[in-house]
Amino acid sequence: MAGTTVNSAAERRAVRSQANLALGILKRWGTIIVIVLVGLLFAVLSPYFGTVSNFNNILFSMIVSALVSMGLTYVVAAGSFDLSIGVVVTTVSITTALLIPHTGWELAIIGALVVACAIGLVNGLLVTYARLSGIVSTLGMMFVLGGINQYLTNGYQVPVDYGQVAFRFLGQGRLGPIGFPVILLAAVFVLGHILSTRSRAGHYIGAVGDNPMAAYYSGILVYRWVIVAFILSALFAGIGGVILTSISSSAQPVGGEGYLLEAFAAVFLGATILGKGKPHLLGTLLGVFFLYMVSSGMNMVGISFATRQLFNGLVLILAVGANALLNREEIHLKFI
Amino acid sequence: METPLIELREVRKDFSGVHVLKGISLSFRQGEIHGLLGENGAGKSTLIKILTGVYAPSSGEILLEGKPVTIHLPIDAHRLGLGAVYQDSELAGSFTVADNIVLGNEPGGILLDRGAMRREAVAIMEQIGLDIDPGRRASTLTAAEMQMVTLATLFHRRYKLIILDEPTARLSAPETRLLFGLIERFRREGITIIYISHRLNEVKELCDRATILRDGLVSGTLEREEIDEDVVTQLMVNRSSAELDISNPGLAQSQVILELQDLSTDRLRPLSIRLRAGEILGVTGPLGAGMEQIERSLGGLGAYRGTISIDGRVCDIGSPAKARAAGIALIPEDRRKQALFPNLSLGENVTLPALGDLSRVGLIGHGRARRYARSVVERLGILPDAPERAMRYFSGGNQQKAVIGKWLKREARAYVFVEPTSGVDVGAIRQIYEIILELARNGAVVIVISTSVKELLALSETIAVIHHGAISALLPRVKFTRDSLLAATISATAPAAVAEPTAA
Repeated sequence: MAGTTVNSAAERRAVRSQANLALGILKRWGTIIVIVLVGLLFAVLSPYFGTVSNFNNILFSMIVSALVSMGLTYVVAAGSFDLSIGVVVTTVSITTALLIPHTGWELAIIGALVVACAIGLVNGLLVTYARLSGIVSTLGMMFVLGGINQYLTNGYQVPVDYGQVAFRFLGQGRLGPIGFPVILLAAVFVLGHILSTRSRAGHYIGAVGDNPMAAYYSGILVYRWVIVAFILSALFAGIGGVILTSISSSAQPVGGEGYLLEAFAAVFLGATILGKGKPHLLGTLLGVFFLYMVSSGMNMVGISFATRQLFNGLVLILAVGANALLNREEIHLKFI
Repeated sequence: METPLIELREVRKDFSGVHVLKGISLSFRQGEIHGLLGENGAGKSTLIKILTGVYAPSSGEILLEGKPVTIHLPIDAHRLGLGAVYQDSELAGSFTVADNIVLGNEPGGILLDRGAMRREAVAIMEQIGLDIDPGRRASTLTAAEMQMVTLATLFHRRYKLIILDEPTARLSAPETRLLFGLIERFRREGITIIYISHRLNEVKELCDRATILRDGLVSGTLEREEIDEDVVTQLMVNRSSAELDISNPGLAQSQVILELQDLSTDRLRPLSIRLRAGEILGVTGPLGAGMEQIERSLGGLGAYRGTISIDGRVCDIGSPAKARAAGIALIPEDRRKQALFPNLSLGENVTLPALGDLSRVGLIGHGRARRYARSVVERLGILPDAPERAMRYFSGGNQQKAVIGKWLKREARAYVFVEPTSGVDVGAIRQIYEIILELARNGAVVIVISTSVKELLALSETIAVIHHGAISALLPRVKFTRDSLLAATISATAPAAVAEPTAA
């Protein structure tokens, strides 16, 4: 390797700066390039993939997952973990379905979201004032809620009356060609994005996650913003739960757990988008989109579910791994 | 007389029955730079932690502008405008300089006004004369820049009292000048500065008054013109400074142990040097100019080109484990983070590298480990003599001894010390110097990387000055005087009296 060609210093510098430029571009746009290429690949392989209706389908199928993932983004940005979000979807869904006959759908939704916020609040209190780790306390919360879900439903699904037209519109309605829940998702995303990039809350959550000590000495109420992050996480998962109830006109006693792993995949995949190296809402949304796009594409091409799972796992490891290589720290000694 | 900004009255602090502060009465005037000196364990850091709300005092009163205040939490101190800049600056790495400066006090309501944030930060930076791109991410700043940005953040928060704890420990001479300029501006703005340093020259130059703590009590407060090495040392340790003088009598033997051949890194130009058994090489220069590259290469912390040989054998030093196997011991500056396990006991810390020798069939012999720990503690004079005590409760000097203790069993061929006495009290400095000289006397090569001229003159047999990634002077210690070495450090010129370097 060494000494094969003797370049002049200037040439070597030029080569190096070109390499740096390429690396910079790769870091920033690498994940997006991969997403686009994979999309193009499926469009070539299947005539039905690249259609507007399929795009709509992908968006529609990812709604709940996207909401859960976006919520998780705040907690990861604050430097913690929330393993309870999947079950929160189920709990909120059950609460909504149970409340509708008694309170009407509007109050049922409000009540269910209040429950979600309360769960987030408890999670937040546990990791701050009670000094538990995020992983442990939200793992505990996951089991507690799983038990409560069983008690509430006796293991049976809770149907929503077919006459709840307005409620069903939330998940099943359409405005022109676009599904209403897709519009809801877009609205929540825009609000969430402003919250995380423009608001004091988002700024402080980022500061706390980056350097809690600096935040503390800056007079930022660190615990408050960690708690806010957990509440946002549960609230977003709760919105997902409400929409899920509307989509399926019922609440299932189990099943929300699946969103948890997708959400983590999306958040960490999303952190590599635009080379930010830390979770951000746009990245998370694109991450979810990528997972569902691949799923849809493989489905159309006729690839089995098992292969799709395998592929998703590999993509996550590769994307995050490539990003870690590009953002290489000199010594790596963190194993969480 | 005008009301002092802060007045402490009979402040005491006990930790489970141990009296650390035994009744401190002290006042800090508005707009003064007040030096705080004292051996480690004298109570300086406890006092600071009480002022910044990390600890609550056991008894006593604190008055701010004449009114009693309670400071039980850091947030209380923050609200009262009392703050500290710690040695490792606290900035959010992924935030920009501007974001960091206004952090916690951003203009705007629920939504932030990014334009106003930047304008405010730029105005602050102009006011205090800080020339850094406000859009730079904090993680890309040098240690000195970080410290100055931290100062800017405190300035922005309109702190009345700023405590600087060894602010120049990691700064080079030009950076120190910049920092002093900044501190002067703060004084003119009426901000009170408490300046903690082990460097008396800085205190003499900068401070209006200086208080010396000893053993949890105020041992004296001096006006600027009274600050004098002999007086200060006397107040500090009850011992005149003449006694502290120590020097290397010339311990080098003939046999070459460590040879660096064309050692270079991206920030260090090829460097060749041979070091003999018992030789102590002092390395100095402005921080970031290359001397830290030697420590990184020899400690296995970074890639290097060229060869490093020990006892004539070329060694591959690609990681700290390989450096250790090759017989190189690195005693880093940031002991708490890089060399010690703060929550393990002193005994566990010093026995850790020797566990192999203290084990039988893979199991640690606890009795033997205990005896070994005790022998290390005794040999190095670590105080308090309590091997069961968690490492973090020991003072800086005793922590440094413990790091050296980690290597005693393994008998390294070469020891690399980085700022061996930063954060170490005067009393312990002498002991650490003696330990270092003893290592050389036993035939090891010692490299001391330090920004303290006095330290190098005391310890070294040979001195290298590094500027801009290249050696600008490499001479025997006797060719240097205090002034000429200081000049060589500041200005990148070899002492005029000697035409060319002697070592190969």
